[in-house]
Amino acid sequence: MNRGTALLATVLRAGRGRLLPTLLLAAAALLLQHIEQTPLQTLQASQFDRYQRLAPRPRDAEPVIVVAIDSQSLATHGQWPWPRDLIARLLERIQGGQPLAVGLDFVFAERDQQAPALIAERLPPAAGALLRQLPDPDATLAARLAVAPTTLAVVGLARQLPGARLPVHPLPALQLPLTVDRALPQFSSALASRPELQAAAAGEGFINATPGAPGEHGERSILRRVPTLAMIRDQPYLSLPLEMVRQALGAGAVVAEPGSAGMQAIRIGDYRLPTQANGELLLHFGKASASYYLSAADVLAGKYPPATFADRFVIVGFNSIGLQDRVVSPLGDSLPGVDVHAQVIESLLAGTALRRPAWLPLLETGALLAGGLLLIAAVPALRPRYAVFSFSLLGLLMVGGGYAAFLAGRWLFDGASVTLLLGPVFMALLGNTLIAADARRRAAERHLQRSREEAARVAGELDAARRIQMGLLPDPGQRFAGESRFAVGALLEPALAVGGDYYDCFMLDRQRLCIAIGDVSGKGVPASLFMAISKTLGSTLLRRHGDLAAAVRDIEGELSRENPAFLFVTAFIGILDVDRGTLDYACAGHDAPLLRRAGRVARIDTAAVAGPPLCALGDYPYATARLQLQAGDLLCLFTDGVSEAGSGDALFGGERLATCLAALPEAAPDALCRAIRDKVREFEAGAAPADDLTLLLLRWDGA
Amino acid sequence: MMNLPTSEQAGVLVVSVNGRIDHAVSEEFTRALEPLLARCTQGQPALLLDFSGVVYISSAGLRVLMMASRQAKAQQGSFAIAALTPLVQEVFTISRFNLIVPCYTSVDAACKVLGR
Repeated sequence: MNRGTALLATVLRAGRGRLLPTLLLAAAALLLQHIEQTPLQTLQASQFDRYQRLAPRPRDAEPVIVVAIDSQSLATHGQWPWPRDLIARLLERIQGGQPLAVGLDFVFAERDQQAPALIAERLPPAAGALLRQLPDPDATLAARLAVAPTTLAVVGLARQLPGARLPVHPLPALQLPLTVDRALPQFSSALASRPELQAAAAGEGFINATPGAPGEHGERSILRRVPTLAMIRDQPYLSLPLEMVRQALGAGAVVAEPGSAGMQAIRIGDYRLPTQANGELLLHFGKASASYYLSAADVLAGKYPPATFADRFVIVGFNSIGLQDRVVSPLGDSLPGVDVHAQVIESLLAGTALRRPAWLPLLETGALLAGGLLLIAAVPALRPRYAVFSFSLLGLLMVGGGYAAFLAGRWLFDGASVTLLLGPVFMALLGNTLIAADARRRAAERHLQRSREEAARVAGELDAARRIQMGLLPDPGQRFAGESRFAVGALLEPALAVGGDYYDCFMLDRQRLCIAIGDVSGKGVPASLFMAISKTLGSTLLRRHGDLAAAVRDIEGELSRENPAFLFVTAFIGILDVDRGTLDYACAGHDAPLLRRAGRVARIDTAAVAGPPLCALGDYPYATARLQLQAGDLLCLFTDGVSEAGSGDALFGGERLATCLAALPEAAPDALCRAIRDKVREFEAGAAPADDLTLLLLRWDGA
Repeated sequence: MMNLPTSEQAGVLVVSVNGRIDHAVSEEFTRALEPLLARCTQGQPALLLDFSGVVYISSAGLRVLMMASRQAKAQQGSFAIAALTPLVQEVFTISRFNLIVPCYTSVDAACKVLGR
């Protein structure tokens, strides 16, 4: 690991892996609180657009008709601006159907340039006199406007422009709390129609779509918010579509509902729309439709019966490429600006708008903190795969919750940004989890490696110990090579690497053969060490003493002298006069040997002289007995590794050993040892041997 | 941990031992006997192991008994075994362990001798 990754790991693991995620979470919360200043704003806006595309506002009723100055109208009646008497005629056609309200999406700021009086000024006075007698088009339009409540458009201006004119129809009796007043868009100036037209119209509504600093986040291309209420030179005005509705309702009062930081809704008559604090409406768009667009040329030509306009809101506006810029809705539709007015009216009548009150961003921050703390608590305790699962689930919950909130009540909850901001927190947590898992795995590997090395080392030492132990045991075939009076075979197989059994066989002199077998209590290293002492001490003392019983008592005495672990040894020791066939023996708690004579096997009766194991009492007066062998007799010394070899609960046992010995053919003793060993292993049926297995066979062949 | 149920009979602490006492359980057997042996002192009730449930004993098991016997003797307590099963009896006979630990044919017989 180089220094860079080590530093990274240290940072990740600080505070038990929770410090960095907590800091990241705090940063995420701060970021979410000020999302307007971050690129995340774009993500949030497009997420809200996705909601709308998933469920656009249904447009069942068509309360609005747009009479559009379209390409066909321009082809028929010539270039814009049209003479105002033509507009008056258009208005007359519409008014014939008794519409609820009419709105003109134009500002007639200057005099009609085609007014006969203006043309007359460029003619000789005689020719102009006739023209001067023709009606003034502005006067004609003003007269037409006065027939029914009509709303004119106003453009709010941030600064004084030449030709600027203030509107003259402010909202009546509107009491605005200071907080609302301050939150609303403020225009110091405006561009309104000529005074005589203003005077003839019933109301004026502004048509600014994006007041303030439009497009400061690149939002100019997609229209999501429209203002409802604005202050023009400290006088309150509604937007054009809302003013039309107010006029239809009898030009009553409007209520701006105050919220925690400004406005929260606007009420016109019985209709109510939730708004942002600055009075902006988050418009829930419906799919674009051409069905309510009528060409102004067709209307002028009388193609539609007057009933077409009955009980409808009629907006006259542009729908022609080249006359005005178009807006793009969140649904992806390219719309003429006048369509936005129609959608505002529809929304007000249905009382539906997108809702994102001031507390909703706080809820998002709360969700972020709750989710983050949950991750910080849970991820370090989980396995990596469940950790990933937990984060996916949380993200799914946040994003799904956002969709659900929109579908249920048009709430704009930004689950995507919350999930995105939880990402770094989770990555830091997961990184730490993975580092911890990796460290554990490495530690486990190191530990395993150490265990293996340790095991190999111990095995090596045990192997050495085994070779030393086996080296202590004599090889009878080698030791008695060329001997004709008797034959000895022996075999020892420890249950563990080293064991506590031993055997011995040696000539005390030319005539006397000493055989011994022993079994130290227990097995493994402690038993093997005691075995080595017992065996060496035994052979030494037996060679020194003439008397077997005295030798055995001496062996016990010497062994007991240094025996802190209180081990003891069972042993059978015999001295055979190889010329006469007399066997003197002593038994210290050991199994009585078997004797095969003429095909029959019997146990030597050691009961009369048998004592407890060596070192069990420490001062037992062992005695010896004598047995006369016959030529061909086979003596079988064994340890409990043979008699107590187990298979399940059953033991091999003395009886089975006797039967086995009886059945064996005449053969060299070492071959017979192997045959018996094979029988025992067969009986164990593959089970690990419980104890050391030792056999010593002596055949006396006579002098 | 090896379970050694105890009961009191005629002033003798009778301990039931069960199963195979071989190399594998000898350590456990030693530890289980320790608290019982600690109380096996002069003037205290005799400690009697009821071996009627013991099916096999190896040399390692015998060593535990030998050490228990030595400890009891050193503390001048009384320690004995009763009701040996045939197989265990055979092991005791071969190894002459009856010379090291007093053996009785039954718990009742033992209590008659050891009880007060």
